[in-house]
Amino acid sequence: MYQHQGEDVFVIDGHIHMWDASEENIKHRGGEQFIQCFYDYHTAFTPEERQRGIDDYRKFTPEEVKRDLFTNYVDMGVYQPTHLHEFYTEGFNTVDDLGGTLFKEHPDRFVLNGRWDPRDGEAGMKELERQKEEYDIKGAKVYTAEWKGDSKGWRLDSDEAFEFLQKCADLGVKNIHPHKGPTIRPLNKDAFDVADVDLAASSFPELNFIVEHVGLPRLDDFCWIATQEPNVYGGIAVAAPMALSRPKKFSEIMCELLYWLGEDQLTFGSDYGIWDPDWVIEAVMETELSAEQHAEYGVEFGLEAKKKLMGENIAELYDIDIEERKKAFQTDAISEEFGLGESYGAAAPADD
Amino acid sequence: MSQTAPSNRPESEETAGLHDRIRARLDRVTDPELDESILELGYIDAIELDEWTATLRFTLPTAWCSPAFAWMMAVDARDELESLPEIDEARIELRDHMHEREINEGVNGRLPFADAFPDADGEVRSVRATLDDKARLSRQYLAVERLLAAGLSPEQIVALTPADLRFDPDVDPRMDGARASIALGDGAFSVSVPARPLDRYLRKARDVGHATSDDDPLFLTPEGEPIEVEAFELVRRRGRLARTNVTGQGGVCDALNEQRRAKLDRDGPVIVEAD
Repeated sequence: MYQHQGEDVFVIDGHIHMWDASEENIKHRGGEQFIQCFYDYHTAFTPEERQRGIDDYRKFTPEEVKRDLFTNYVDMGVYQPTHLHEFYTEGFNTVDDLGGTLFKEHPDRFVLNGRWDPRDGEAGMKELERQKEEYDIKGAKVYTAEWKGDSKGWRLDSDEAFEFLQKCADLGVKNIHPHKGPTIRPLNKDAFDVADVDLAASSFPELNFIVEHVGLPRLDDFCWIATQEPNVYGGIAVAAPMALSRPKKFSEIMCELLYWLGEDQLTFGSDYGIWDPDWVIEAVMETELSAEQHAEYGVEFGLEAKKKLMGENIAELYDIDIEERKKAFQTDAISEEFGLGESYGAAAPADD
Repeated sequence: MSQTAPSNRPESEETAGLHDRIRARLDRVTDPELDESILELGYIDAIELDEWTATLRFTLPTAWCSPAFAWMMAVDARDELESLPEIDEARIELRDHMHEREINEGVNGRLPFADAFPDADGEVRSVRATLDDKARLSRQYLAVERLLAAGLSPEQIVALTPADLRFDPDVDPRMDGARASIALGDGAFSVSVPARPLDRYLRKARDVGHATSDDDPLFLTPEGEPIEVEAFELVRRRGRLARTNVTGQGGVCDALNEQRRAKLDRDGPVIVEAD
């Protein structure tokens, strides 16, 4: 468990993947462009000594994911699927990729999110039901810029999307994570417009909308919507790595988020494997607002706010009892494997 | 990026003046998403001056940056350079981009965007309008901050019209040290402020159809309405947010750009005289 100034900080990484962009799995040139684009983001922000080679970056195995997360300060991870079947034969990062592996072995360490696409129609509804039944999903990632046939994207406020949102409400899939972030080649930029979240959020007050990547480069539209809708949250994945190399920009973004949304509406995500979580978590936790920022914005980003961001807020969304988990993690298989029990308060093994 | 302009011959006063005026013109060419000049953003590799022609070479932060945005930057740069009396023809060379051929041939051949990109979905204009309106708000924030710093009150700021704003007709407002004056109290007195932020704001406001006649309000709400003084602070905060959005996204692009330029080994003097 991460420690900050002598205090435990329970980290739920709200945005993780386990993808396969190996050359064998790519079926459309968009698949190669997509992973190369991710790799540009990886190398632009990752400290040089922590950068991966492109071959290593193409595919993550369950063993790697387990080690990369749990030996790098993460206590739990929220898996956000990205299917992209138009680009990848077996999909890029599918529900079953984690569902059939790490989630099955370590269900307490992961939140496995589902995924739907309104263009899938009746078959998509059945698939959503299957995900609920098989994995008891409580949330879903939606990727409005995904290609399907001739379509280059869809909107959350369409009639078809509303049918799926209603289905989510009926099934108790209450956390919807729309990806609204920077351009990813070759996807269409407009399909990441945040405006469609507004009507969806006001029409489904029983659902929560966690806007991933806080809408960048539409932070302004996102914040304005979020101030008006109490069920809209911001996930800071993609903004977070700026904490290391662009600290002033990161703290300005945090000031805006704290000012418009408040500290209870924000969740953390490393976006693993775009970036590894260790240095991102350290950089966010070390962020201090300047005296001018305190004066200008009138917000605080102290330990309490950081603990909410790092885990407490998303724990609330997914009904996770952090104290209960800590206790369970004293002796679970992950802690056994990586020697983490003591960090969760287990007695140190007797010395002889 | 080097701020001086090395050249093979001693720099005369005239060429130094031309280099400064080239910079002042290129200060108007922005990355439409980041609303910052391509000079400031470090996209320009070189500007070669040869008699009456200029060749501008530039590289974007990624090979897959929006071709529509790349197009806008290339066209704007060409037109700004050609607005100088010393430059008859400007040629543009975008480098290491997926669509460099379409863009360079199209811009240098003076084609419309739709001819260079017959497959484009035709949404360039509306995307540009949305970005322009955000840029207008972000620039308003910077201009208003300058006016507050110069001692103007919110009541005075919301009452300003374009007629109250005066630029020196003999100096490019984008040049270092250029000043503008703001007439207050029905012209009874005036306050001197830096010209650049006000020129930047006014240009963008006019691009989106605001502040066009002398008695229009100079500053507006995000929705384009006159600002009630009670709403001044909220409008200011929304402008600040628009500003944080562009500079935040600028941070993402800047990191991509820095890494790419290092990889391509692409930094040198910006303006060079060929002879």
